[in-house]
Amino acid sequence: MRRPTEKGFVLIAMSAAMFLLLAVIGMVFDLGRVYITRNEAQVFTDAASMAAAQQLDGTPAGLARARAAVAALPNHWNLGTKDFEGVVVEFSADNEHWKPEPAADELPSLRYARVTAPGNHVEIMFLRAVGGPETLTVPARAVASTGLVRLTQ
Amino acid sequence: MNSQKGHAMIELAISATVMVTFLAGTFQFGYTFYIYNQLVSAVGNGARYAAQRTYRGATDRDIERGNQAIRNLVVYGDAQPAADAAPVIANLKPEHVEVRWVLNGDGIPATVDVTIRGFAVDAAIQTFAFDGRPSVEFPYVGRYAPAESEP
Repeated sequence: MRRPTEKGFVLIAMSAAMFLLLAVIGMVFDLGRVYITRNEAQVFTDAASMAAAQQLDGTPAGLARARAAVAALPNHWNLGTKDFEGVVVEFSADNEHWKPEPAADELPSLRYARVTAPGNHVEIMFLRAVGGPETLTVPARAVASTGLVRLTQ
Repeated sequence: MNSQKGHAMIELAISATVMVTFLAGTFQFGYTFYIYNQLVSAVGNGARYAAQRTYRGATDRDIERGNQAIRNLVVYGDAQPAADAAPVIANLKPEHVEVRWVLNGDGIPATVDVTIRGFAVDAAIQTFAFDGRPSVEFPYVGRYAPAESEP
């Protein structure tokens, strides 16, 4: 027979270790996915803002083409499995005041397109068990101007 | 006293097995995610380079040389790498990178897709294969030069 004080020691030690282990797994697994999503979303908004800015030509048709070009990009997130949702495309003449629906007289002065991917909710699996949130939202945003850089090489 | 020692051994054996399994799994996923994240960056950089690069289309060979420069940028971070250049991601080779141009009705590039094909991440215990992802599309904004040759 064990002495009474020794009883259950392994149980307690294991529970403490499991808690720490879950936290470590959560850091690796969940935060790993969060960082990948951040990267995927940034690459998407970079490409989308370029696609939108390229279409701006001062006409309502150009504005429509800019939105369509963003919607047509096939880039995904969540390890390349999910579409970007709730993507916001805004336009500006001065890179300061942004409008999703610019007035007709503002169209010729538009020089910048800004794309925001706000709705990338990464589902947290392991960190949730040790007090973490259920989802972590990783938004991304990028701005491109109509005078896009071309490489000479 | 003897029976207690045996208990402790069994307890240790069971808990150590569980712990080591968890830790090995954590390492595998952690390492694979790390490599995937680097792949996303590499493919994104390559696609951005492709989007802004001059598209020289005098011959099929020029197009292929342009594509090779894009693949090199993804793999080595440099379009014209030195002969002994090391890839930014272990074991990644230019043949793992697919460059696909989408041409519009006039034959001018509209978008460019850069995709990882058939790349395996060796995470010590298990191998994870990536085929078709990560994949990135950029709009083509570079200079279109159908009559020029690659320098």
